[in-house]
Amino acid sequence: MIRLQASVIEGIRAADTPAKLHRYLQNAIELEHSTIPPYLTALLSLRPGRNRRIGELLRRIIVQEMLHMCIAANILIAIGGKPAINTPGFVPTYPGPLPMQIGNGLVVGIEAFSMPLLKNVFMAIEQPEDEVPVHVLKAAREAEPEYATIGQFYDAIQAQIRALGATIFVTPTAPPQVVAPHWFAPDKLFVITDPDSACRAIDIIKIEGEGTSTSPFQSPHDPAHFYQFGAIVNGREVITMPGEPGKPPSYAYAGAPIPFDPDGVWPLRANCRIADFKRGTDARTRIEQFAYNYSALLNALHLAFNGESDRFDAAIGLMYDLRVLAVALMQTVADPQTGETVGPSYELVHTQGGMQS
Amino acid sequence: MSYLDAPRLHFTGWFQADVSTINNDVRFFQNASFVPEYQQLDQNGSWNPEGTGIFRLLDCKVTGGALAGRSFVDPSQDPVIGLLVENADRRAPGKLVDLDPQQQMVSEIWGLQVRLLDAERRELLRGEYRPGPFCNLWRRQQTGVARDQQLAANYQSVLQDTAWADELDSPLLRALREASDDGCLSIAFNVYGYGRDATIPRYTMGHVVGSIGPYRRGEPRHFVAGRQMTADTTASLMVPAGGLYNLQGRFSARTGQLTLDFGNTFPIQDANSGLLDMGQVLVGVLRGNPQAVLATVDASRVGLVGEVPYRDPDWYTQTAGVQDFDLHERPDIAALLQDNPLALLSPLPDSSAYKVLLQESVDGLYLRADQFVFRLEPGEQATVELHATRFGQPLAGAGVGLVPTAGLMGGSGGGATISPPTRPAAAIPDIGTPAGVFTFPSSGSTDAAGRLDVPIALSAQGPGRPRGYIAGQLYGVAYRLDRLPPGYLFNPLNYVSVLAFDAKAVPAAPTWYDDIQPLFAQYGNLYPIMGRYVVDLNDYAAVCTRVKALQLAFSLPRSDPNHMPVTRDLGAGDRDTILAWLSTPGADGLPRLGRPSLPVGPAAATGTAAASPPPDLGLLPEQGGGKTAFVLQYEQRRRSAAESGDAS
Repeated sequence: MIRLQASVIEGIRAADTPAKLHRYLQNAIELEHSTIPPYLTALLSLRPGRNRRIGELLRRIIVQEMLHMCIAANILIAIGGKPAINTPGFVPTYPGPLPMQIGNGLVVGIEAFSMPLLKNVFMAIEQPEDEVPVHVLKAAREAEPEYATIGQFYDAIQAQIRALGATIFVTPTAPPQVVAPHWFAPDKLFVITDPDSACRAIDIIKIEGEGTSTSPFQSPHDPAHFYQFGAIVNGREVITMPGEPGKPPSYAYAGAPIPFDPDGVWPLRANCRIADFKRGTDARTRIEQFAYNYSALLNALHLAFNGESDRFDAAIGLMYDLRVLAVALMQTVADPQTGETVGPSYELVHTQGGMQS
Repeated sequence: MSYLDAPRLHFTGWFQADVSTINNDVRFFQNASFVPEYQQLDQNGSWNPEGTGIFRLLDCKVTGGALAGRSFVDPSQDPVIGLLVENADRRAPGKLVDLDPQQQMVSEIWGLQVRLLDAERRELLRGEYRPGPFCNLWRRQQTGVARDQQLAANYQSVLQDTAWADELDSPLLRALREASDDGCLSIAFNVYGYGRDATIPRYTMGHVVGSIGPYRRGEPRHFVAGRQMTADTTASLMVPAGGLYNLQGRFSARTGQLTLDFGNTFPIQDANSGLLDMGQVLVGVLRGNPQAVLATVDASRVGLVGEVPYRDPDWYTQTAGVQDFDLHERPDIAALLQDNPLALLSPLPDSSAYKVLLQESVDGLYLRADQFVFRLEPGEQATVELHATRFGQPLAGAGVGLVPTAGLMGGSGGGATISPPTRPAAAIPDIGTPAGVFTFPSSGSTDAAGRLDVPIALSAQGPGRPRGYIAGQLYGVAYRLDRLPPGYLFNPLNYVSVLAFDAKAVPAAPTWYDDIQPLFAQYGNLYPIMGRYVVDLNDYAAVCTRVKALQLAFSLPRSDPNHMPVTRDLGAGDRDTILAWLSTPGADGLPRLGRPSLPVGPAAATGTAAASPPPDLGLLPEQGGGKTAFVLQYEQRRRSAAESGDAS
């Protein structure tokens, strides 16, 4: 189960002004963002026309992580804060821990899609506090008081928002919050105005990621991230099993097959950094271009959440461009000996080059 | 004022033009005969089938500058030196776009943002490159590796909507900010040494050197209405007789400065070699105004201006080839410049004469359209801004004639054969038909400023899809001054290109089968980067999963870098049909599928070309198709016309 330092929870509980709560919502933005580079890399590493269903499922999860990031940013704005999305340190160093040292030593890297990656990393990131048994009963857990869960992190934020009350909400906010009905349904991304709307929004983050304590589904036919990864690992969709009357339903990875073709994945070298590649090579120019484009995406999001809401469409455009830029990148041989190809880098950069020595 | 004035800065580095290449052959627009083999790398010369269309600068730095008679090459002289020249950092990069598969000789840059950054990556200047085409395409590179694009060209436009940092350490930048009108700057750059071999690092990339200077309201944006030297390309369109290629310049009688842009004038040996040593090259002004281009001239008939220092190793990268000649203490030469042509000269051994490598346009006369690429919707009108000059001064009251032309348009853009052959055979459409729907006046006269605004118009009914499998039609307009000396040399690339879109009524309830699939299938065929990786445009179900993204991309203005289609060749009728389809779902909440209609063959292309395949130009695979094919096809037409005595 993924954990974070209990001191974070204590800090949230001790936040007696909205300003003191700001850093934890900024942490939430960073946490939600931090899963996107590894998940996106796994998605982009799928070869065209191969592993289509897995690609669809990964894409859905990534879109929801983007939503969660937006929700956290709106809550921060709602209580008088300003999201910082393109500052140094916003993107964690991969491989490494997620923000707030989350994960109890879990190291998250930038790697091609693989079953071990899903099982050991992605499922660890998304593991619920109360995992609903799917197929196999979970083992009882020991209490670990020095650590808290992501669920508890969000629980504590919800509790503290309620404790501080409606007065911490700013009207009108500066900058305005972002709602993007074209991209996110209005019941998912909405203007936060009071403790109720803030808590409702945080519930979305919790449930989409971890599900509820009674069901792996966040909505009908859409399992929470943990169970979605579990379905891919187990090769079958999650379904509700026919149960006995009067008893709670049970769940199993027993639905339609989710086939995995190991050859349908580009053999990316893990955790590529720009500096790993010599100038004057196509590997270098392409990885710089990818990182620059990702940085531009974060710049566009930063501006969107700091007063220029209409930049959100440009951010979406940049997201699609990453898809396209990954094509040449991931076919570029990084090491002729192993056949490994170049993986993406999510370093924040301000320039792009790579030809000039 | 322009980039030829001071204050100005020069930059150098690399560019990427990741153009897609399947659309280099018009026959691949015929959906009925399209097969997946056409999407393979290097099939039929398609050297970048998964191109994204991206145009971007990389590794570009400011390397030189000029301010108030001084030139800078080191940051100690002015902190502008060393600034980084970057692209947009909060939106998608620019795109490079052909007008049409049958007009690939005016590729325009769209959606490019240019920024200057200091060493701390602080943004000092930001501006939007006003879309405009390259010009002055020639075979600049003498040798190369396989598939090198040995043709080079230059771009000139303005950066508009500029935004400056409040604090500017650089006196040059402060002066530049003060000197410009309307928030615009003049920008010009030369592109060369472009690689098309997928196995080399230079693949889709080449060198760029350029300049940024002030822009003055009312002046042309895409060329300088100054002194124009025109190469003799009578024998070979891409190989100038004198070895040096077109240049433009200006002379200021007030300051005594003659400034010439040699940025696209000197050949290079190979992609990375720098300028080819042609021996000493001198700038002179002829003592007299011959009504023809000279081969040689005696030294006594020339006032020497100075030597072009192109053999200095850093000259080209530090100046982008823009060279000032100070004549304020040489009134005799300045006086000669008023009504005599400039010439680039090479000393002849054992002789008092010079070889004339390049000469100013005969009698100093020059006429050019500013923007010369247009897209017209049915019922739409646009204005071609013609500027006439004589020895760099506005030519008032000059008669101008205009006639239809094919220019370098038409043809296939590919080789004589396609592998595998198109079945049914795709004929190469004629262009310029029907004639009556595209109109412009046949004559006019320049005003006191030497300018003539020519209205061009497309009738409300549009061309009516005369090319069958490909929408729209191309028209060209040739223009010339009425009174020209017999030996006058034209730049054959100076004509107006128009893509005329078809009229199309938007159906009330468009369906996939009837209205959308033919459009999307063609796009998916030609740009597999989209279909393979983003959304399979041949697949209704897949398209239905990306409705919102498609709505956004098809709604963006053409100037937006994320505009779809990237080729910017979709007419408003088709665009509105797509948007209507995306936004008017059927009972199931999805865009309407409709029913497949009975299969019918593609509409036949009109014209005589349908009967005959394109001429065999003997294109080697490494020559690719595209621009090379257009040049060869054009030259063959020119030869045929000469043989038949047809002067048109």
